[in-house]
Parts: sequence; C-alpha cells; structure tokens
Amino acid sequence: MLALNEAFDAIRAFMERGGDVLFLILAVTFIMWVLIVERLWFLSLEYKKQKNRVIDAWEARSERRSWYAHKIRAAMVSEANHNLFQGVNLIKTLVALCPLVGLLGTVTGMIEVFDVMGSQGSSNARAMAAGVSKATIPTMAGMVAALSGVFLSTYIERRAKTESERLEDSLTMDH
Amino acid sequence: MKKILTSVAIIALGLTGSAQAQDADMQSLLNKVRNGTVSESAAHKQREQEFLKAKQDQQSLLTKAEAKQAELERESARLEEARRQNEAEITRQLEVQRERLGQLSELFGVLQQAAGDARSTISTSHITLDNPGRMAEIDTLVEKASESSDLPTLNEIRAWPAQMMLEMVGSGQVKTFSADVRLNDGNTQTMDVTRVGDFVIVGDGKYLQMNSKGEISELQRQPSSRFTSTVSAFENATTGLHALGIDPTRGQLLNLEVEKPTIMERLDQGGLIGYLTLALGAIGVVLAVFQWFYLALVTGKVKKQIRSDVANTNNPLGRVLAVYENNKSVDVETLELKLDEAILKETPALERFLTLIKLISAVAPLFGLLGTVTGMIETFQAITLFGTGDPSQMAGGISAALMTTVEGLVVAIPTLLLHSFVSGSSKGVIHVLEEQSAGIVAVHAEKEHANASA
Repeated sequence: MLALNEAFDAIRAFMERGGDVLFLILAVTFIMWVLIVERLWFLSLEYKKQKNRVIDAWEARSERRSWYAHKIRAAMVSEANHNLFQGVNLIKTLVALCPLVGLLGTVTGMIEVFDVMGSQGSSNARAMAAGVSKATIPTMAGMVAALSGVFLSTYIERRAKTESERLEDSLTMDH
Repeated sequence: MKKILTSVAIIALGLTGSAQAQDADMQSLLNKVRNGTVSESAAHKQREQEFLKAKQDQQSLLTKAEAKQAELERESARLEEARRQNEAEITRQLEVQRERLGQLSELFGVLQQAAGDARSTISTSHITLDNPGRMAEIDTLVEKASESSDLPTLNEIRAWPAQMMLEMVGSGQVKTFSADVRLNDGNTQTMDVTRVGDFVIVGDGKYLQMNSKGEISELQRQPSSRFTSTVSAFENATTGLHALGIDPTRGQLLNLEVEKPTIMERLDQGGLIGYLTLALGAIGVVLAVFQWFYLALVTGKVKKQIRSDVANTNNPLGRVLAVYENNKSVDVETLELKLDEAILKETPALERFLTLIKLISAVAPLFGLLGTVTGMIETFQAITLFGTGDPSQMAGGISAALMTTVEGLVVAIPTLLLHSFVSGSSKGVIHVLEEQSAGIVAVHAEKEHANASA
C-alpha cells in the first residue's frame, strides 16, 4: 500500500512538473493502447473463427463461377476486410496526434517561460525552470507515446493486409 | 529746491526787467531774494557745524571699535588654542576608549551586523504580524550598535537572541489571530487569519500575503483549486493532521501565481488571427459532430437493411436495393451499371464536409504559425524602436506571439481526431455500398431463382 502511494505520488509529481497537457497525452495514449490491444486480440483469436465461417459458407455454395458467385465472394471479402481494418485508421491518427499534443505542451511551456521572463526579468532562472520542464516533458512524453504505438500500428496494418490477401486466396473459384 | 526757485526768479526778473507796470512787485521780489540768501547762508553754517561734530563723534567710535577688534582677536586666538588642546584631548580619550574596549569593539561590530541581518529577516517575517512590538526593540539595538558614542545596554542586547528565539519558535507554530486584511476591492476588513509558521497566512478560505509594508492583503488571484480547497478545512480544524499547501519561499511562489493570466486574457493575446483560428475550429467541430451523428444514424439503418429482405428507401443501401427490385428483368451488365449509378448518387451525402474538416485541421496550425510570425515581427519592431534594454517587454511579446500557435494546435488536435472518426464511419457505409451491395443483390437473386425453380 505504501509503495503504491509512493508510486502515485511520483506519478503526480511528474504530471505536475509536465503540466496539464500530460493528461491529454495520457488520455490519447490510453485510448490508443486500448485500440491496439483490441486489434491484437481480434487478429490472434477472434478473426480465425470468422475466417473459417466465411470459407465454410463459400465452400458450401453449389456453384462458384457465375456473376452472382463473384459478387457474393467480393462481398464476403469486403465484410472480412471491414472487420480486419476497423480502428486501424484511428490508431494511426492517434499515433500522429501524440507528437502534436507534445508540441502543444512545448508551446504552452515556452509561454510560461516567457511570462516569467516578462514579469521577473531574465535573471530568475529558478522561476523559469518550471516553464522549461513544462516545455520539455510533454515533448518527450508525446514522442515516447507515439513511438510505443507506431511499431504496433504498422504491425497490425501489415498483419491485416496479409490476412485479407490470404482470405482472398482461400476462396478459390473452382475445385 | 529753494536754489532752483531763486534762479528761476532771477531769469524771470531778467526777462521782465523792462516791464514798467510791475516795478513795485519786482522790488519786493528782489528783497525776498536778498533775504533768502542771508537766511540760507546761516543755515549752511549751522549744518557745517553739525557735520564737523558728527565727524568727531565717528572718529571716537572708530577708535573704540578698533580697540574692541584687537580685544576680540586676542580672545579668538585664545579659543583657537583651547580648541586645539581639546582636539588633542579627544584624540587621546578616544585612544584610551579604544584601548579599554579592546576586543569588545570587534564584538560590537559583529553585534551590529547580526542585529542588522536579524532586522531584515524579522521585518519580512510573518511572525511579526502577531508580535507587533518586536521591530522597535531590534531597531533600537541596531541604532545603538551603529553609533560609537552610546553603547547598547545589556537588556537591549538581550533583545536580539530573544527575537531570534521567537522567530525560531514562531516558525514552528500554527496560530490564529485577528488582523486587518486589505481585500482586493480596496476595503479593509478585520478577520481571523491563521499563520502557518513563517510560510503562509490563510483567512476566510483564501490564501493571504504580507506586503512590504507589513500589512496583510488578499492575493489578487488564488492558486489552483487543489490548494485552495484544503484551506477551509485547515482553518476550521482544532486538532489532528490536515493538509495545506505552504509556500516555502515565503510568498514568492504565490506571487508568481498572481501573475498568471486567466484563460480569457490568454485568448486575447492571440489577437485577430487567434480568434479567426478558434472560429474556424468551432465551425469544423460543429460540422464534424453533425456529420458524425448523421452517419451514425445512417449506419444503424444500413445494418438493419442488411438483415431485412425488403428494400427500405430511408437509407442508402435500401435505395440501391430498390434499383434492383425495379430492374429484376434486365441482364446482369445493365443491372451492374444501374447499381453503380445508384451508388454514385449516394456517396456525396456520406462524404459531406469531410474535405472541409480535413482542410481546417491542416490550416489551423498554419494560422497559428502565421500569428506567431506576425507577433514576432511586432516584437522585433519594438526592439528596433526601444532597444533590448527591457527584456521583460520583449518576453511578453514573444509569449503573446506563441499563443496563436497554441490556438492553432488546440483547433487542429480535435478536428483531426473528429475527422478520423467521421471518415471512419463514412468509409464504412461507402464500403458496404460499393463492395457489398452487389453481393446482397446476388444473394436475393439466387434466393428468388431457387424459389422459382422449387
């Protein structure tokens, strides 16, 4: 319990040093990771069932050559793709958003630095330090958050593309 | 005056000498003039005598004065001598005093310095607020210690350690007392204030400060709610532990808090470009939210349509399926063309505002940059005019310039996010229309064929 309290205090101190923008980064990162985990879970567990269902439905068809069959196949692939790529764009947007929010923190921190300079002159380095830490910590946090998401978002996108192509290959026209 | 009159009379006589008719008058005038001359010379003689007498008197006075001067000069010389002797005596006496003071003189020097330091500490200390008399004591000590003529007494010296002890004890106390507080509206109010050591004063649920004149005044702006929310509970507490934010720098941190501008003041710093950016952002957000709700509605209806067999024209997919229902007899190629045409008709409503929202999210940071650059230009123009002598003026200009960048980002971030949401749901519906509508049609057709053949 004490260790938990200490950890909470440390986080709060970090958050206060970095300013309010850090909460925004935290929120963005949290949503991003929820989406990433959901995608990974879907790709590794949920998707296999869907894929088998689609293949079975296709195999159960009496004929697979007519215009109707082609359209039905396209519809099946499209629906699977829709499921595969759901949220991928949002993840990518959130990854792009992280450095932007970091930049917001930098600018607000710099404003604070210049405010202090405006009221106290440039000699009070101690008073300016708070603004400088508010300028640098969100940048770093934004970068770290973006980096943490960028690899997995690329992985998820590539994996979804591969799975989609594989499904298309499995739905063969003739036997 | 008399002389002038006489001469005028003589001239007049000369001029009128030939006038026979006035002979008698002229005779009398002549007599008058003669008499006048006689009396005049008598007066002159008298005056001459008076002058002579006065001259003798002056002479005697001068002699007297000269005698006095000589006497005074002798006196002056005597006093000069006495002064010289006294000076020598003073020097000797000081020497004696110095000798007698010995190491004590150094001690008094240290005392003077220490007391001076203590006075500056005490004058800015919060503990002086509820111990009003202490400045007088320490002032007397500092004054006495700085003079060489009058040595401070033992009691006066004792004031110094006593005040230092009071300072130490007081900085560990939490004390509530009644005091006059200058409020922000200019009025003075007597209220109970609580002093926490030498660090902070609170009263009436607010943080107070002590100004340079030793008065208590309300802070122009209170610190963030996380700190102010603890004040009331702390004030009302009588026992136990209670949280309170304290200012270990004795007011500096709280003063920094006062100088922070409010959000409205901040927005104002952004100027015209800032407001323009925010207006653009508001338009973007309103459009995005509107379109998002619209798409959510459409998506719901499309999902319902996929499950049902009857084409309902209240949704895009239903309208596409209706095209099939009306053209069951045509061949496959024509049907495909007709379906494509129907889908093409549906897409504009689904993609409405998307480009505009994307544009706003891309343009907002550029607006911010524009505002920053124009702000910087203004700042540097001010430097050209007034020089860099006042860094605070320059820094204020830069912080105002950066505000537009903030506003640009504040607009860009939510519009970008909203664009992602809206384009996601719009793409979802369009995918269904473009890639699955033909499939759904095919399923319907096959079902009907099966029914027909059965």
